[in-house]
Amino acid sequence: MEKVIEVRNLHKSFGSLEVLKDISFNVEKGEVLCIIGPSGSGKSTLLRCLNRLEEIQAGDIEVFSTNVTKVKNINKFREKIGMVFQLFNLFPNYTVAQNIMLAPVQLGLMNKKQADAKAVELLQKVGLEEKKDVYPETLSGGQKQRIAIARALAMNPQIMLFDEPTSALDPEMVGEVLKVMRSLADSGMTMVVVTHEMNFAREVANRVIFMADGYIVEEDSPKKLFTNPSNKRTQAFLSSVLKPLES
Amino acid sequence: MNDYFSLLLECLPSLLDGLQTTVIMAAASLVLAFVLGLILAIFSLSKIKILTVFYTVYVYIVRGIPVMIFGLFLFFGVGALLNIKFNPLLASIITLTINASAYLAEIFRGGIKAVDIGQVEAARSLGLGYFRTMALVIIPQAVKIMIPPIINQFITTLKDTSILSVISVRELTMNSQIIIARNYRPFEVYSYAAAMYLIIIIILSLFAKYIERRLQHGKSN
Repeated sequence: MEKVIEVRNLHKSFGSLEVLKDISFNVEKGEVLCIIGPSGSGKSTLLRCLNRLEEIQAGDIEVFSTNVTKVKNINKFREKIGMVFQLFNLFPNYTVAQNIMLAPVQLGLMNKKQADAKAVELLQKVGLEEKKDVYPETLSGGQKQRIAIARALAMNPQIMLFDEPTSALDPEMVGEVLKVMRSLADSGMTMVVVTHEMNFAREVANRVIFMADGYIVEEDSPKKLFTNPSNKRTQAFLSSVLKPLES
Repeated sequence: MNDYFSLLLECLPSLLDGLQTTVIMAAASLVLAFVLGLILAIFSLSKIKILTVFYTVYVYIVRGIPVMIFGLFLFFGVGALLNIKFNPLLASIITLTINASAYLAEIFRGGIKAVDIGQVEAARSLGLGYFRTMALVIIPQAVKIMIPPIINQFITTLKDTSILSVISVRELTMNSQIIIARNYRPFEVYSYAAAMYLIIIIILSLFAKYIERRLQHGKSN
């Protein structure tokens, strides 16, 4: 299989606080990798290093064989990597369609007509074509996140990064977002997903990484990691998140 | 009552003359301060240390000195030092420009900072560069946040023009004093002047409300 992301001995600190400690892993083309772990374990920071929203202190990150820290045209590089955020980050000053069309048109990938057609196509894909001309403030959280996914997909990315995409949603809206993500995974998109949705990780991921305290503690197939984790830290985490009412 | 209005008619030409100077002073200062304030705000957001230090010192000094002292210092102090006689209107415009620029720069800076950092991250992650991100995403949102405090500053500067009567600019307050020196009717004349300031500022406030309402739904471009 073709490696699209390769992380080697990554270290990241905020001031004197080291949040990522010697992280190494690969992502292959078409793979869905889920990163799970307790809050503050460095999951989101790790994800943000992949498209250089965070600068790293040591190690190497290669995406499509391009070294992230040495890339000359960071904007061109980011075009290939879609990102979805916990708090959606839709642009409130643009309509839904304008949110989706903004980057492809501004960056010369499409003309307005093509981008409009693309927006319609993507909105159908996420089931929100009737929301094309409204402003984001009128949408629910789940709708906002589906639009945010459509916006990222409009750039025709080759990798999609998801930073806790359902953590800010009301429980009844989680399903609609996961459904879109699942169909995206089924279509063969390479995805790295930081999530607290254990069922999604178990059912959709090809591989799961468990992080704690800035380390990768365990990395395995979801089947193995969820049913028979080898590390005590992983066991403790899974037993607390999977049976929250019994303790 | 009849007397009140007939006196108004008598004073009106001179008061309107002063009002005109007041408005010109405020408008010229605010246009210049707007440009200067934008440049200063860019300084404050820049990564070049000397510019941010300059910005901080400038804002501290300007905010820490009363407009009246600044005007007196420039008109009499600097005038005496350089042995020149400033045009009072010019000295006033310089004073008000420098004063308002510091406040406006803070408003611009604050407005941009108030836009959620997630907006920058979303735009950058789509491949938009720094300038496109600012122009298309951040500044349109920041402008909406800035409008009320900008109008506030306009009102403040308009009222501050009256302070510059101390350097003998023939604006509304100065002209009122000249009239009173002649007719000994301070109650009437100052009430006329107050009403004139009030009317101008009410018009400005209504205009601000109108702009705010137009920007309500994000249709800022």
